[in-house]
Amino acid sequence: MSVTRYSAPLSHPGWQLAPGLTIGLVLLLVVAMGLGSMVVTASSVDFASVLNSRYLRGVVWFTVWQAVLSVLLSLLLALPVARALARYRVFPGRSLLLRLMELSLVLPTIVAVSGIIGVYGRQGWATGLLNDWSPGHSWNLYGLNGILLAHVFFNAPLAARVMLQALETVPSPRLRMASQLGLRGWWLWRSVEWPALQPVLPGLCALVFTLCFTSFAIIMTLGGGPAATTLEVAIYQALRFEFDFPQAAVLAVIQLAICGGLWWLVLRQRMESPLLPNRRLAYVVPLKHSAAQRWIHAVLLVSFSLFLLLPLAAIASRGLPALLGVGGASSLYPQLLPATGRSLLIALPAGFGSVLGALLILAAAGKARGRWVKAIPATTGYLPLIVPPIVLGTGLFLLLKPGLGNNAQGWVLVAFINGLMALPFVVQVLRGPLSGLDTNSRQLADQLGIIGWYRWHRIYWPLMRRPMALGLAYGIALSMGDFGVIALFGSPGQPTLPVLLYQQLGSYRVSDAAGTGLWLLILLITIFSLLSVIGRPPANQRVSPSHQAVPVPEHA
Amino acid sequence: MAIRGTSGSGKTTLLNLIAGFLQPGSGTILWNGQPLHQLEPWQRPVTSVFQEHNLFEHLDVATNIGLGLHPGLKLTKEQKTRIEQTLERTGLGGVGTRMPGDLSGGQRQRVALVRAILRRKPVLLLDEPLTGLDPEAKNSLRTMLLEEKAQGVTMILASHDEEDRKLLADQHWNL
Repeated sequence: MSVTRYSAPLSHPGWQLAPGLTIGLVLLLVVAMGLGSMVVTASSVDFASVLNSRYLRGVVWFTVWQAVLSVLLSLLLALPVARALARYRVFPGRSLLLRLMELSLVLPTIVAVSGIIGVYGRQGWATGLLNDWSPGHSWNLYGLNGILLAHVFFNAPLAARVMLQALETVPSPRLRMASQLGLRGWWLWRSVEWPALQPVLPGLCALVFTLCFTSFAIIMTLGGGPAATTLEVAIYQALRFEFDFPQAAVLAVIQLAICGGLWWLVLRQRMESPLLPNRRLAYVVPLKHSAAQRWIHAVLLVSFSLFLLLPLAAIASRGLPALLGVGGASSLYPQLLPATGRSLLIALPAGFGSVLGALLILAAAGKARGRWVKAIPATTGYLPLIVPPIVLGTGLFLLLKPGLGNNAQGWVLVAFINGLMALPFVVQVLRGPLSGLDTNSRQLADQLGIIGWYRWHRIYWPLMRRPMALGLAYGIALSMGDFGVIALFGSPGQPTLPVLLYQQLGSYRVSDAAGTGLWLLILLITIFSLLSVIGRPPANQRVSPSHQAVPVPEHA
Repeated sequence: MAIRGTSGSGKTTLLNLIAGFLQPGSGTILWNGQPLHQLEPWQRPVTSVFQEHNLFEHLDVATNIGLGLHPGLKLTKEQKTRIEQTLERTGLGGVGTRMPGDLSGGQRQRVALVRAILRRKPVLLLDEPLTGLDPEAKNSLRTMLLEEKAQGVTMILASHDEEDRKLLADQHWNL
């Protein structure tokens, strides 16, 4: 009997390893170059004198303080919400609320800020109510109040989703046991909830802390003065207004040290912290509860939904007239359309790049052997969390100073950094489905000779279409909403949508700003729905009709 | 040939070694005097049917079988009709476009066996292929296996079911 040798295209193992390693190395190199130029610039400064500066210490102190407060408040709100959602798996509007909570990840900060101003700002709805109730109040959105409010708006849903996911991984026999024993309150927490939450908490805290620590748009718009300046904003001011490059470099080094140190601590425990939740089917296990508890939970969930919905409603109600040109306002579109073009020009390459990069990096991560080779793809996926985009931007800015008159170069850089920023999220979306193939299926594919290109085309592609479309949508959305990197590299005369929105907010053209915000929001929703249609498998190949982000075999 | 042994005695390990999913620490695996153990799984003259997870859940039945004939699904007309005919002959007519999740356990195993048969490999590795099926499904699968045996295919069956081993095997081996 002869032995069959199939020659599947691209079946050499090197094809899985080399491209991902190359990309990883190039990314690491670019980041190293950026950081290097930053450190070189920073080293020309006398560190001791900088560290003694009162301004700088104030900035660092405020940055850490607001981030810590934001983490605490977000988690404190997220915990009861997650518990309530885990407890009540079936009620009208639950899936809508979950969708709403997912929105906060892709909602551009600057859009949300314009909505928050619409609700809690000087002329906001809530402020109006407060004025009626207690006329002498001293509520002021701008400053620490606004920063915390916006951070909680963004991070409480994120934290609640991660916690909910952790709670939903509790095996149902354990829940049934708890139900049978009639556990509630403290003992339910100790026996079921805390063990499920505890592994995700360090990563979650680190994630929320990093997001608040490096938040830019929120501080720029709601900070309201030098008293509430964070490192990120200070870097931007040093680079773009004071042209004090060494100062910017020193600030970026401090920022890097704090973020990098934090993630090093978290990742050292070899913990895969979930950035995005998987959606899965939940089964109902009735747990013991009192009637009062039910009411408390209902009130909690309703107010949480309102908290998330009101700013969106504010954008919609103020933006719609502006977009439709009601009331004789001058048309927005001459400004809006070019800005949309510029945004897409940056976001599309960034999105596609991040998906391609994530796939290659994941393939290489699966194939890599040896400690150092393995480290390359593993680090690349987390790089943007350890090295915040603005730090990287600062480094590359310092490196490429001479070419800054050149717009094309700036845009390529923005697209590159935006793509890199999206990488951890896209990696997170794709990792599960890519490694989700069970051992038997893999062995079977081996035996049938389905390797190389054939394996990708026949086995992975049908499984990966949906997650890839989702990853692409995330990548594009994150880049479309980016305000930090573009502020650093872009020119005010040629704004992208978020920059345009910032300019409108800055010149108090509130209804124009709402119009731009609504436009950007509609654009993002369109992108997501378009890609979810494209990512849907043909009708006869649906594994199950449920809304699962990750298709899982129906039997185990 | 039937292999018998209590669970954990290494029946599956042995089959995985032959198929190339595991690498032997030492020793050689020969087939007709040719060493097999250095070949990749897709280069070996074997085809397997496991107890479960034989099919790719996200691909329809025809694709699942077709991939066994060419790993890139580049099939000739003749191969396509042969798939149709074999499905028809084994009482699976018309399920070609169905997804594995829509089939019963017995049907899924029959599809897996059809693929193994159509691959025309000299060695058929069976790892508890009938375990957990209802008697009717068992019977139809046994018939298919006996037909294959009559064609001269070498079968290696790991099973702890006395009846299966007696019916299907000429030689018995204890682990």
